[in-house]
Amino acid sequence: MKLKSIFTTASLSVASFSYAQEAAPLQISGSVDTYYKYDFAKVPNIGTSFANDQNSISLGMIDLALKKTTGKASFVGELSFGPRGQYGSLLNGDGTDGNSFHIQNLYASYAFTDKFTMTAGYMGTFIGYEVIAPTGNFNYSTSYLFTNGPFQNAGIKGAYAFSNKVSLMVGLFNDWNVYKDLNGVSHIGAQLTVSPVEGWTAYLNVLSGKSAGAVGTGTVLDLTTSYQVTEKVKLGLNAADYSVTNDGGGYSGAALYVQNAFTSAFSLGLRGEYFNWKGVAEESDKHVAAVTLSGNVKAGGLTFIPEVRFDNGSSSDMFKKKNLNPSKNASQFALAVVYAF
Amino acid sequence: MKRGLFVALLLCTVAGFAQDAELPFDERGKFIYYEVVVQKDVPAAMLMERATKFFSASKELKLKTVPQDTLWMARGKMVINKTAFVLSRPSGEVGYHLYLDFKDGKYRFWLTDFSFISYQRDRYGNFVPETTVGIPLENKPGKLNAGEWTAYSKATAREARLFAERFKKGMSEHAINPPTAKAVPSVDTKNQKW
Repeated sequence: MKLKSIFTTASLSVASFSYAQEAAPLQISGSVDTYYKYDFAKVPNIGTSFANDQNSISLGMIDLALKKTTGKASFVGELSFGPRGQYGSLLNGDGTDGNSFHIQNLYASYAFTDKFTMTAGYMGTFIGYEVIAPTGNFNYSTSYLFTNGPFQNAGIKGAYAFSNKVSLMVGLFNDWNVYKDLNGVSHIGAQLTVSPVEGWTAYLNVLSGKSAGAVGTGTVLDLTTSYQVTEKVKLGLNAADYSVTNDGGGYSGAALYVQNAFTSAFSLGLRGEYFNWKGVAEESDKHVAAVTLSGNVKAGGLTFIPEVRFDNGSSSDMFKKKNLNPSKNASQFALAVVYAF
Repeated sequence: MKRGLFVALLLCTVAGFAQDAELPFDERGKFIYYEVVVQKDVPAAMLMERATKFFSASKELKLKTVPQDTLWMARGKMVINKTAFVLSRPSGEVGYHLYLDFKDGKYRFWLTDFSFISYQRDRYGNFVPETTVGIPLENKPGKLNAGEWTAYSKATAREARLFAERFKKGMSEHAINPPTAKAVPSVDTKNQKW
């Protein structure tokens, strides 16, 4: 009798395994991150995204992504729980009750042909070099370009690949970082991707439209490019300009990324950035230059990121000293742990 | 009965272990999957024709040599997946060279020059190559990543064996002259006497 039940269980297991092999698998992936940051002025100073808490072992987020492809159709649903998402980059519901949907990506795609794909939903922005998920960035603290640019765009877009080296995306989008657009689908965006040689990819991006309540039409022009020079050396560049008509301000800046993999487990990366806030009306522009040196120590899915950062601003009230007097400079150390699965 | 069950379990374990072995090295110290396949009475020209059909139907392989040569070389890639129960996600891809050599009545093929490119999730939640330059699979990554690297190496061996099975099937006579499809039986309800 006992033997019979063992055989039944075994047969059932084999049957379900065979079934599982026939069905396209559901992809589940994600990451968790946590960090410690110490600002040498002993006050939180540098206002870019994430790694904000002073002298504290703080949480990043747990990020969970699901992806399923059936034939030509696919969906991605990515949820993020924790301060990095809720306080740092994701929206709270409709803004009335403080509830968050925790959504980073929620979209469906359909590949009409090998070359043409349509996608609709809420997606990570196509603008810029750095991303929300810590696994997608080399440095743990982020650039000013990332913090001031869009995080996500809800919309509908079509992408056409002319060849392996050239493709074009054009789409209609909501205002930046909103689940629903209060003034209608108001933005148009495009991305031209070119890969002139193996290892080098450049994205020319534009996103333009009038957001609800804005004084004018805002337009971001963005160049994001990276080049894997050798097996060990990688270069990256992000340059962007954002202008709002009717003297509505904006920003411009550029960040250069240089990374070297000394071994398969240890890499060093330097980010140098210049960033300028355009003054609104009579205000004058303000700028900041920042240098960030980060290490990446990898052990399986785990990455340790020790990091030092120095920022130098154009005005003396940009940062604070230990005694809380204004300062032009700020510097910090951070140690982050990121696990990807 | 119990003894039979024990032997069956033992055989399954041995078979599982054999499937999990890494590939052997060639004379250059590179991993290699090598096989000679005899197809009696089939001329080399016919074998080449079958290989051409296999390549034209395959999306994962790009032929790099002119078909007039007797030694062919193609570049391919295989995606390595991390799998647990019914869930799976790609962890990287392995690029390789496939060599083919034809003679009357037999052919040989080997996969070698395996190089691994790790995948990372992009801003849209899709897995994409982290870099464009692969790391040779024979490289030792150091203590910190040794376990993961061995897993990639074993997964490559598994995928190479699966590819070999597909390729041999494609090169068999059956693939070039598929049997005509049987008529699907249907039930005629109109002219039935009942």
